[in-house]
Amino acid sequence: MSRWVELSEALAVAIDAIRANAFRSLLTTLGIAVGSLFVSLMGWFLYGLDTTLEQTITLLGPDMLYVDKWDWSGQTRWEEVRSRKDITYRQAQELISSFTGAEVAVPLVDAFGITVSVGGRTTKDLAVVGTLSTYGQTPLGTVQFGRFLSAVEDRYGAPVVVLGYLAARELFPRENAIGKTVRIAGHPFTVVGVLEQQGTTLAEFIDKQVFIPLLTFQRVFGFAKRSFTIAVKAGSEERMEQVRAELRALMRRIRGSPPGAPDDFSINETQVFRDQIAGLRQAVWGVGIGMSMLSFIVGIIGIVNIMFVSVVERTREIGIRKAVGARRSSIALQFLLEAALLCVAGAAIALAVGNGIAALIVLAVPQAKFLTPYIPPQHIGLALLIAFTAGIIAGWTPALRAARLDPVQALRYE
Amino acid sequence: MESPLIVLENITKVYRLGAEEVHALRGISLQIDRNEYVAIMGPSGSGKSTLMHILGLLDRPTSGRYSFRGQDVSQLSDDELARLRNREIGFVFQNFNLLPRATALKNVELPLIYAGLPAEERRQRARAALEAVGLGDRLHHRPNELSGGQCQRVAIARALVVNPSLILADEPTGNLDTATSEDIMQLFNQLWQRGNTIVLVTHEEHIARHAQRIIRIRDGRIESDTRYDVTVQRQPTGGLECLDG
Repeated sequence: MSRWVELSEALAVAIDAIRANAFRSLLTTLGIAVGSLFVSLMGWFLYGLDTTLEQTITLLGPDMLYVDKWDWSGQTRWEEVRSRKDITYRQAQELISSFTGAEVAVPLVDAFGITVSVGGRTTKDLAVVGTLSTYGQTPLGTVQFGRFLSAVEDRYGAPVVVLGYLAARELFPRENAIGKTVRIAGHPFTVVGVLEQQGTTLAEFIDKQVFIPLLTFQRVFGFAKRSFTIAVKAGSEERMEQVRAELRALMRRIRGSPPGAPDDFSINETQVFRDQIAGLRQAVWGVGIGMSMLSFIVGIIGIVNIMFVSVVERTREIGIRKAVGARRSSIALQFLLEAALLCVAGAAIALAVGNGIAALIVLAVPQAKFLTPYIPPQHIGLALLIAFTAGIIAGWTPALRAARLDPVQALRYE
Repeated sequence: MESPLIVLENITKVYRLGAEEVHALRGISLQIDRNEYVAIMGPSGSGKSTLMHILGLLDRPTSGRYSFRGQDVSQLSDDELARLRNREIGFVFQNFNLLPRATALKNVELPLIYAGLPAEERRQRARAALEAVGLGDRLHHRPNELSGGQCQRVAIARALVVNPSLILADEPTGNLDTATSEDIMQLFNQLWQRGNTIVLVTHEEHIARHAQRIIRIRDGRIESDTRYDVTVQRQPTGGLECLDG
């Protein structure tokens, strides 16, 4: 009870002291403000990056494995990857038919630079992917409108197409695409479905795919000189390692890899996106931490300085308070809170500015579209907490000096 | 019989000023009972301020024993002394020592804050104390909006508000004109008559004459300790000047 009374008094006194010297307080807290700005902007950027990354991984399916000629992680040497033989339709078929340990295993084959047109609109931006109806059971095959390819269409190689989200937007900006005809490499295809938006800014290509039955793909584009990808849904993240091991053993046998030779294929995971941005993450983190540490150190020195001034200016007041019964801790609390509030005020200003900067960047820079146009609340909380801590550190020595003042000397101070 | 409020036994205080030792008090022994009205007099440098600081628990003696309400307080910690000052002692200073940015009410509330009282009770008691010193209409004035006499009344209200065992006044009229000084001394008389114990430090004879007992200090020792007839004290102040001569 009595502690609360003292705390609220200390708080009131601290606020009053800061208001009494508003301009001086503002200047003093500048270092802390700059430090908070760095911390919050760094947090904001990394948060945006991580959120987008996690979204991408979730959408792609964290339990998805892709058996592919190409290595996504970039850990295998480029020349080695390029010299790998294509994964043929037959090999893909054999892998899928002999592998039973997964929820879904489905072949994919793609063609790029194909002219796709509707009426007057023509584009070569889209990837045409041949696959089977079972791809609709993977996260990437979730439809928003219409339906995915059917087993019947698989079997007869029907001229139907399912559009990725951005592909649909590009080809049918205003109308409903379902039932409309699209020309792919000159052949007419009926749109039966449009997929949900899958990719984020980090992986827009995912939404720029159009899916047609595998057999149809073979008739239009042929399988020659094309490498297949086998998409495998493990069922759960726990099963990933086992499924990966089984796939690897099977695939080595199918490809006829001699014992001891390196794999001439890769088993990719959506997780590799994490590794890809780890470097960027570290760089931002390092620079951000360095800059904010520097600012906070400068800021703390400034606050320590001004708090000593404040203690001297208010020596008489300290004497009065001690005479009427303030304990050491009551006096110390008053100055600690003053320093902490000073820093929190600086951080609050910085966060307002930071929010403006964040909004401006997102608005003005297209590459930054994946970031939130505001600093997320948890980073605002973090910046305020750090500023508060900096204030306590800065206020410590001056507060102790104030607390230890001899009441007689303090009362005599002019 | 009730034990004395204050017992000092052979109190000394030595300051170190660089290499030099200053013997401010050289063995003070005295007793003050409840509801006494004592004036401590002495020229500057006599040690009367040091004595007041020790009596007020703002400072500790170098040696000797100080018992306050039967408790030995010579060697208490800073926080224990602060607690005792808060509950038992009300200070009135020459230069008022009010917080300049706080209203009269807030200034009077200050000791109650450190006593941990809730806001509503603080406000009520502070208001009552200010009304008791005749400042019921100045609750929300700041010190710079009050006259010297009014400031000192605020300080007295602040001293009273905790119902202390002892009111210590250090040259309370030192910054006031003669008429205002008389008003303030009347206020102290009233407080005494209501049962408060008052110790007044002054170097002015006519101020000291309000007290019932005058202790004179010189060179850190008690020079004289004289009690005066209580009935004389209750005479109108005009007559007191004559008694002096």
